[in-house]
Amino acid sequence: MHIEIRDTVSEDRSYLVKWLEEPDILRWFPLTDMREIEDAVRIWMFYAEKQASLTAVHEGKPCGMITMYLHPYRKLAHQSLFAIIVEDQYRGKGIGTKLLKELMKIARERFQIHLLHLEVYEGNPAIGLYQKLGFTVYGKQERFVKLSSGNYLSKIMMQKELKEDGRS
Amino acid sequence: MELPDHFDIRYTEDSDIVWLQEWFSDLSVREPFPFETDLEMEEALKNWMGFAKFQAGLTGTINHIPCALGLLFLMPYRKVAHHASFMLIVPPMHRRKGIGTSMVKNLLHLGKTRFSLESVHVEILEPNPCIPFLKKLGFREYARQDHFVQRGEQAFPRVLLECFF
Repeated sequence: MHIEIRDTVSEDRSYLVKWLEEPDILRWFPLTDMREIEDAVRIWMFYAEKQASLTAVHEGKPCGMITMYLHPYRKLAHQSLFAIIVEDQYRGKGIGTKLLKELMKIARERFQIHLLHLEVYEGNPAIGLYQKLGFTVYGKQERFVKLSSGNYLSKIMMQKELKEDGRS
Repeated sequence: MELPDHFDIRYTEDSDIVWLQEWFSDLSVREPFPFETDLEMEEALKNWMGFAKFQAGLTGTINHIPCALGLLFLMPYRKVAHHASFMLIVPPMHRRKGIGTSMVKNLLHLGKTRFSLESVHVEILEPNPCIPFLKKLGFREYARQDHFVQRGEQAFPRVLLECFF
């Protein structure tokens, strides 16, 4: 499967909204309804305008996205939180890996970032991917997400230092 | 420790921003916070005061003059609205008088009673002497991230602590 990775453009916004509406994707984000989805997408696209976001494209159609939430403060500008989303039917095909590897490259080259970190909820199968790519756990926040059932999910925090020679 | 005479706590008002600006004009006070430049500071204070509009801020006063300020950073999304992070500033001249303890206790109480929070968390950028103080108040560390803050050539950790009600 040929996948192209390019900078996210404003037209990708509608795909992001569509994906987040999928229950199986939404469950891994702290969002509940369209109002919250629109708010999160607005923030995502803000960073896309700063060229901190990438889109995976298959046969001309977006199938995944990843973005860095760049820090506005000088003291913290060397590190960044990121989020990733891959459309359901494209999971398990290496797209997440491709997006992450490309993100690590632009993080260093464009933004001189040498520490990337993420937040993922317990039970998310993406944890395996992150570990495979060298991310390690640095914390866990219990009862981070409260579901409508009254149950909770913990948030697992992972990070990776990006090497100076461009290797990740 | 006995609180100063005529110490009181009220909801934070928009006008309290001038006190924040004054306290943070001291670069040593700014040091434990993520902002560095005046521009960064002004942006941060503007964002912080947005939470005061929800009555999520408390200002400590002595003889009606602000001496401390704390804010609950309420979460914007329903699934995570049961907890919040907070900030607190007590300028150097008012430290070691029990004001910080009173402010934290009142912020926790505000979070629990007004906003139905189940827990509160805080991000501390090291080095920062307030970690033992927070642990004494029931906070426990749940994450430590090395190299989070860059000060000159040196990198320092951030420590995340939480307190469940």
